[in-house]
Amino acid sequence: MKAIEVNDLNFAYKGGAKKALDGIKFEQEQGEMVVLMGHTGAGKSTFSRCLNRLIPHFHKGDYSGQIRILENSITGKRVHDLVGQIGLVFQDFESQLFSTNVELEVAFGPENLCLPREEIRERIDEALEMVRLKGFERRESASLSGGEKQRLAIASILAIRPKIVILDEPTTDLDPQGKLEIFSVAKLLRSEGYTILFIEHEAEAVWEADKIVIMDRGKVVTEGKPYDILKDVQLLENHGIRPPQIAKLFEEINEPMLPLTIEETLKVFKKRDWKISDEKYAALLEKDEQHQIGYGKKIIEVKDLEYIYPGNIKALDSISMEIREGEFLAIIGQNGSGKTTLVKHFNGLLKPSKGEVKVAGEDTKGKQVWELGKIVGYVFQNPDHQIFADTVEDEVAFGPRNLGIPKEKISHYVEQALEEVGLEGYERCDPFSLTKGERQRVAIASTLAARPRILILDEPTTGLDYREQKSIMELLENLNRKGHTIIIITHSLWVVAEYAKRVLVLHRGRILLDDQTRKVFSQEEKLARSFLVLPEIIRLSNRMGRTLLSLDEFKYCLKR
Amino acid sequence: MFIYLDKQSLLHRLHPVTKIVGLLLLFIWSMIFNHPLYLSIIFVMVLFLSILAKSLSNLEKFSLLLIILALFSTLLWSFFLRGPTRLFKLGFIQISKESLLYGMAMGIRIDTMIVSGIIFLSTTRTEDFTQGLSSLGLPFPVSFALSLSFRLVPTFQATTSTIIQAQKSRGLDLESGQLLKRIRKYIPLFVPILIHAIRNTDLLAMALESKGFGFRKRRTYYLQFRSTWKDWLSIAILAGLISFSFYLRRNGCGVIFHRI
Repeated sequence: MKAIEVNDLNFAYKGGAKKALDGIKFEQEQGEMVVLMGHTGAGKSTFSRCLNRLIPHFHKGDYSGQIRILENSITGKRVHDLVGQIGLVFQDFESQLFSTNVELEVAFGPENLCLPREEIRERIDEALEMVRLKGFERRESASLSGGEKQRLAIASILAIRPKIVILDEPTTDLDPQGKLEIFSVAKLLRSEGYTILFIEHEAEAVWEADKIVIMDRGKVVTEGKPYDILKDVQLLENHGIRPPQIAKLFEEINEPMLPLTIEETLKVFKKRDWKISDEKYAALLEKDEQHQIGYGKKIIEVKDLEYIYPGNIKALDSISMEIREGEFLAIIGQNGSGKTTLVKHFNGLLKPSKGEVKVAGEDTKGKQVWELGKIVGYVFQNPDHQIFADTVEDEVAFGPRNLGIPKEKISHYVEQALEEVGLEGYERCDPFSLTKGERQRVAIASTLAARPRILILDEPTTGLDYREQKSIMELLENLNRKGHTIIIITHSLWVVAEYAKRVLVLHRGRILLDDQTRKVFSQEEKLARSFLVLPEIIRLSNRMGRTLLSLDEFKYCLKR
Repeated sequence: MFIYLDKQSLLHRLHPVTKIVGLLLLFIWSMIFNHPLYLSIIFVMVLFLSILAKSLSNLEKFSLLLIILALFSTLLWSFFLRGPTRLFKLGFIQISKESLLYGMAMGIRIDTMIVSGIIFLSTTRTEDFTQGLSSLGLPFPVSFALSLSFRLVPTFQATTSTIIQAQKSRGLDLESGQLLKRIRKYIPLFVPILIHAIRNTDLLAMALESKGFGFRKRRTYYLQFRSTWKDWLSIAILAGLISFSFYLRRNGCGVIFHRI
């Protein structure tokens, strides 16, 4: 039986210039798991909202086309007519949860369906069992981790017992552990017979799907079995998806046979007697050392830092470290490990409970945030938490104006900052009309315009597609080359491997590892204990006794 | 920061309607007198109630606010009111015994009301509140929206503090400057907060609708409340105390100023 059948679906948002959906044709069998991928702005979320009639009832616009859900046309139906058939889980778990505790959150749907109390009780049990949140019934949702919150959001949909579950980028805002939790829940749901439509960015997570569908500019571009789609590196890259590294390696060395796992790859290597060249690896190590010699003087010094949040929660404990001018440092670790708390000490937003932090030789105690702002620029995670001006130019000039930089200089600084982030010509644009990737650039430019020596970025790549992620990171690499000290907080380990020169791993408020990227990433087991799973290519090279951080390094060292 | 405390107490177990009516009665009660002594008695009884409700820990959190409000109210009322018995005069500032007492009374009244509110929120989940309002005859969507607004305060607070930190990191200095200039400085905060609120509400509305909110006129509730003799007794006691207080007031007790 067909679960979803879509024919010639078109939609344009009211006031939107372009069609968000343009003649979509789509089919999904009952019990299948289909993964929907594509650029940000390709129309994936819009499509999913058409399936439960949020479009055209909630978002208005020009709508045409036929959709059949479980072999019934939904034309003319309202959102609540479809509640028992389709359940939709959104990316932003914070705004989906509104109840006092876990069980009441799950009860909300069944209550609306007028079910008797005993039945609601049963459904809560069943749904929490499914997402492995049994025993959490009385917990406040605010006290849960990101992964747990998203699982709760899924449970609250499962309690309605829909046949089809749509997961709209449920893992985007999660840390690596949270992501794994969601993937395993999705797998379990599928084995229980649910029909699943999964919108997801990460190619490596979707091998188990029955079908992958790629969308672009409101159209379905192609669909196929995961193996056929995921080995097509060109196709993936064209649609903002990061290809699996092993697939990309085999494509680039013109090897048509594609192994799926690291084990299989090792077998192929063994059969053909491919190895990692010792001399070339030594050259890489030499380069690492050279790089380290090039750093300038100490610019941040942290000594025995301890930070305690109100309510006696110790967020940081005996942190000692130094950062030299010109470094590119990545801070990694699970949510709640203290990453953001640590960097907020670097620009004076937080002051140590114990110990000291020195920036450019001076203690941050007694310094105002804006004073330190001349040295340390801090770009927050979500650009929408800071953008307010009518034009990009005004937005970018905000920082330098606050710091009292003379007027004649400001326009020059703004111009240069926009040039550095690749937004020249956008001066008069309304920042709110830009894409998320562009807004992220505006935020970076607005920090750059104050000419800080150190640039801190909290999760600079979250919510961006592969192409946008790469271009932001290349921008940072460039700034680093020009002498800026760069500090990023991130969950994305391939970003760390390819761009950062040094890694600091935090675990429960303490430093677990702090060393050159290569040395940190060679300690795979220690990282795994903190739920940090390395990119494929690094795991592959680690199995071969060497640590190679990127595809380019791997190709360089591969002896065939 | 959530005010609700997940504990077992007499007040937690009361029917939500009892708690809503009780809260209103406490407000009325504290409005009857304007003499600090009489109000203190009410205040002490409300404090006793908060011990019964096991919500002293929440009062501690708000203790600074309570003290400041009481002091301010005492000071302001003492300056602005004139009474027959002058205690102190300096230039145009003068304080009388009556205005001082009245000020203290107002301070205690505000604190009594806030403490009653804290006890209510400490013992009542938003879901209880929703059900209470519904059983009082409000349509479910209205009661849901009302209680949801309480629930969203902490979320909203968290975002606001992130936005403040983000703008401070860009050099925004909220502490210095003249009043007019300072007000303008809040624009970089208001715009992102507003946009966040709109976006959030939008998403929440979608999530609610996708879970069948407003599906039918009727709905069932997972939480079940039955009123017991304790509910009736609580209301009866409060009503009795209030009637007695009215009687006292009519006989001229507990009054500093009859009319202002």
